[in-house]
Amino acid sequence: MSKDETLGEALRRQGVTRRGFLKFCAATASMMALPPSMVPAIAAALEKARRPSVIWLSFQECTGCIESLTRSHSPTVEGLIFDAISLDYQHALQAAAGSAAEAARETAMEENYGKYILIVDGSIPLANPGYSTIAGISNLAMLEETAKGAAAVVSMGSCAAFGGIPKAKPNPTGAVSVGDIIKDKPIINVPGCPPIPVVITGVLAHFLIFGTIPELDALGRPMAYYGQSIHDRCYRRPFYDKGKFANTFDDEGAKKGWCLYKLGCKGPTTYNACATTKWNDGTSFPIEAGHPCLGCSEPDFWDGGGFYKAISTPTEDIPKAAIYAVGAGAAAGLALGALNRAKRDKAVAEHVKTTIDDLEKGD
Amino acid sequence: MSGASLERGLHAFKEAIDAPVASFFSSCVRCGLCAHACLFYTETGDPKYTPIHKLEPLRRVWQQEYSFWGRFAKALGLSRPVSDDMLTEWETLVYDSCTMCGRCSMVCPVGNDIAYMIRRMREGMAASGHAPQGLIGATQRAVTIGSPMGVKLPALQAQIRHIEQDTGLKIPMDVEGADYLCLLSSMEIMNFPEYTESLAKIFKHAGVSWTLSSEAFEATNSGIQIGVSEIAAELVQRIVDAAEKLKVKTVISPECGHAYMAIRWEGPNLIGKPFNFKVLHILEVLDELREQGRLKTTGKEAQRLTYHDPCQIARRGGVVQQPRNLLNMVADDFVEMPEAGTMNWCCGAGGGVSSNERADELRLKVFNRKKAQLDAVKAEGLVSACSNCRIHLEEGLEEYHMDIPVLSLTETIAEHLAEDKT
Repeated sequence: MSKDETLGEALRRQGVTRRGFLKFCAATASMMALPPSMVPAIAAALEKARRPSVIWLSFQECTGCIESLTRSHSPTVEGLIFDAISLDYQHALQAAAGSAAEAARETAMEENYGKYILIVDGSIPLANPGYSTIAGISNLAMLEETAKGAAAVVSMGSCAAFGGIPKAKPNPTGAVSVGDIIKDKPIINVPGCPPIPVVITGVLAHFLIFGTIPELDALGRPMAYYGQSIHDRCYRRPFYDKGKFANTFDDEGAKKGWCLYKLGCKGPTTYNACATTKWNDGTSFPIEAGHPCLGCSEPDFWDGGGFYKAISTPTEDIPKAAIYAVGAGAAAGLALGALNRAKRDKAVAEHVKTTIDDLEKGD
Repeated sequence: MSGASLERGLHAFKEAIDAPVASFFSSCVRCGLCAHACLFYTETGDPKYTPIHKLEPLRRVWQQEYSFWGRFAKALGLSRPVSDDMLTEWETLVYDSCTMCGRCSMVCPVGNDIAYMIRRMREGMAASGHAPQGLIGATQRAVTIGSPMGVKLPALQAQIRHIEQDTGLKIPMDVEGADYLCLLSSMEIMNFPEYTESLAKIFKHAGVSWTLSSEAFEATNSGIQIGVSEIAAELVQRIVDAAEKLKVKTVISPECGHAYMAIRWEGPNLIGKPFNFKVLHILEVLDELREQGRLKTTGKEAQRLTYHDPCQIARRGGVVQQPRNLLNMVADDFVEMPEAGTMNWCCGAGGGVSSNERADELRLKVFNRKKAQLDAVKAEGLVSACSNCRIHLEEGLEEYHMDIPVLSLTETIAEHLAEDKT
């Protein structure tokens, strides 16, 4: 495919109908919380957009992120959009190897300097650069060099966004996130272990349509996808509100599909789109499969104190002493209040009448 | 036992700390926001004028008598008791630099009614002999003579005769079964007889049945200003007795701020039973007449007028819209001062400050705040509805060499009454 081909041309060449394309535009608009009136504008912008050059660097990672993306069910429009970008360097996917692969990266950087999008998955080891190298270049050096000419950096997955599992205690490689190193470029964090495929296509679409990065939350995540907690959008939420919980994985509550909060579900503190877009072509998501949310799109999720520990339930019974202390406090308060009332009542009862002769001091 | 003493004062403080006061003290977070709401602080910059600080002796009694750690500290001798010297120091803060205007109560983020606390605190100050001499004199005259300024019935009768001769109108006195009983303030009787004249004109114009009472013509209540509830109750009772004797439906408070607060809001609580008549401020009555179409005016004031909201009428009394409605009938160019309405700045002389000569210099100094408000709108005439405000506004304007006439709203309405109606 030609590099100058527009997105519209590329999609049509691959047999995507106009109708299918508009459906994708409408879905993108609704996912990005844009008004429906924006759909034609999105279509027009996408139609004309040049395929952007994308360089994808993989550092300390498990390839789960790229697996997630490539396993999206074909032929999804997201997949095609992804095909439609000019993915100039991705060492797990590209045919070239060795010096030819590195040459592809250097060429892409040169030709699109200042315009290409840099996607990074995996964390960067700082303890010893030798822990992770590509073609003899340390991750740190490659990231710094490649980021220089990037228009924006996308940190794909929790490792790139927050350090992820490599950074989990005791962090033997001294792993850090992309944001810990790159300070002078806009960074979009797309955390998750792995992240949802549609989120990356959505972010790319936003970049193509508006030429800007989408609105981000305090952790640098696109608000459109990470704006609400799993808990708030969970189909099991009504059980939580009614206080109906599964206490073990095989009890009555678990069988009836009640809330998994007590089994350690991190849904209330996790912001992601799992409960709405779901996984595997919209089939399901962990909670729907009967497992609590691990909170994988939140920083340091691996060190959160156990996946099966409820977020804020006392780990043991409240000690009897505490109950007595509360009772004693309440009793003391009541006694003190009664004492105060008695004192004031006495003062009122012993009221001395003040007349106009009492306004000046007696001798 | 007669004569004020520290012992009586402390006893009165203990009595004054009712549930609201106790909860206010324990709620205070010492943020100091009340300072910036108080014109005595903003115009002097002296932190001792922070409203909640003016309550320190009362707060200390609350702490030592009613709080757990305070009792503990007192038992161990770790906290100093409230002394006569301390009260002497606080006397000027409680009486000279507080008009009980209630602006601080409006801004308190935890909802403490600081003006109410000052009102309670004055009970102990008065009982301990720390009320200002001027207020003591006014209170004694109010009880013995019937007016804080010493105005007796013959003086009022003489004024009435003058008005009747000048206008040919009848000023009704002691008319049983009249709809309205009008009260007056001594200030109106002595300095602004035009007010009574205006009442006569307006009520004749609107066909209202009204009367004065020879037994209770004085509306002001020095007992509230000095902080002695039983004296305040005695003064309220005089009005209640007169109103019941004349069988009126409504008692009208005159153009006076604290008189309205005293009779309408504190009155029933002071005497411990509900009134069997209504109490309205004169502006409320006039606005009712306007609504009923019984108040017809002609012509408008051409100069740029603005309105000073008396604290007890607007902020503490809720009469905010009525004066605007009335002013729009007679003013061509009515402008609002910044912060007009419920957050208006006090003139600086309410709450007994004007009866207290010691505070004269201070109240004129803090008038600077009113000057800034007036400068902002370049007013050519200042209308208000409180004769105490009016006197002080006139003095303040003179002090700051500002040539702005001060008008009474009731009198301005009376001047514009349509002639054709009889």
